[in-house]
Amino acid sequence: MRLSLLGLVLSLALSASAWAGSTTYAGYQSWPAGQAASTGYSPSWYQNIFYKTSSFDTTVTFIDNVSYGWHSTVRSRGTYVETHWLSSQTKKAHCRANTAGSSWAACTAHS
Amino acid sequence: MSALEHRKRWSAIGIAVVAAALFAGAVVAGHFDAAPTGLEAAVRDEPLVRVARIPAANGLGERGVFVQPTSAGFLCLWDAPDATSSARQGGCNPADDPLAGEKLFVSLAYDGGPDVTGVRDARLIGIAANDVAQVSVVMSDDTRRTVTLRTVGVGGRSYRAFGYRLRRADLEQGLGPTAVLALDARGVEIDRQATGFGAG
Repeated sequence: MRLSLLGLVLSLALSASAWAGSTTYAGYQSWPAGQAASTGYSPSWYQNIFYKTSSFDTTVTFIDNVSYGWHSTVRSRGTYVETHWLSSQTKKAHCRANTAGSSWAACTAHS
Repeated sequence: MSALEHRKRWSAIGIAVVAAALFAGAVVAGHFDAAPTGLEAAVRDEPLVRVARIPAANGLGERGVFVQPTSAGFLCLWDAPDATSSARQGGCNPADDPLAGEKLFVSLAYDGGPDVTGVRDARLIGIAANDVAQVSVVMSDDTRRTVTLRTVGVGGRSYRAFGYRLRRADLEQGLGPTAVLALDARGVEIDRQATGFGAG
């Protein structure tokens, strides 16, 4: 009985994470210029956000897994940068610091 | 109830509590976002106001430049087909300093690339301080493109708003933007912000 309950616990926890549908795929106290990060490939990513605690130049985009082209790219110094690509194509969310950032910043993708 | 049954009952309760905690933890972790509480919801749900337009050209549809004062304390700037589209692209700064201490708040949105030859459409949008008389885009061959400014009121302050679609001829020649300049009424450069495609 205890093993069954444990199995239930684990499956509930895993399904809850998947259902929740967002992941913060990069978060650092400082970003050297050129530092980049990506999610894994999935058709379900549709929103990509770069949030910073102070302004610096960054890019958010989606990269497809066929041509590796960039889609719905946004480059901005805004402290919150957001883009959407409403496509069923398999893709990964990608973010990049174009200049150095010296305070905490993170990239989050939604599916 | 025997001691054994008592232990079993408490074990089951313990497992149930751990299950609930793990489930709640997974939900919270899954919903964890880096942005301040309420900002993503405000961006998603609160109204946008159009401040400039990007005309249709070369088979590409018209788009608008929108500002969005939010209840989360941020002023956002969007490039979108219309005020209700979820396919918006842009960003936000704190409402008490929407230009982040500069003369310009600029956003470049593009499709294709990252090399300029693969870019199918690219648009620069922005708001500038009221003392900015002219905004120019510096291209990769050092030529400049002047953009049209519109004076707009946002949150009781006055700004110069703009939206500029890069010319197809420029993209076909491999020319991309490298910087956006703010000039004062005498033509003196008072701000310069780097931009461009890909990793440049």
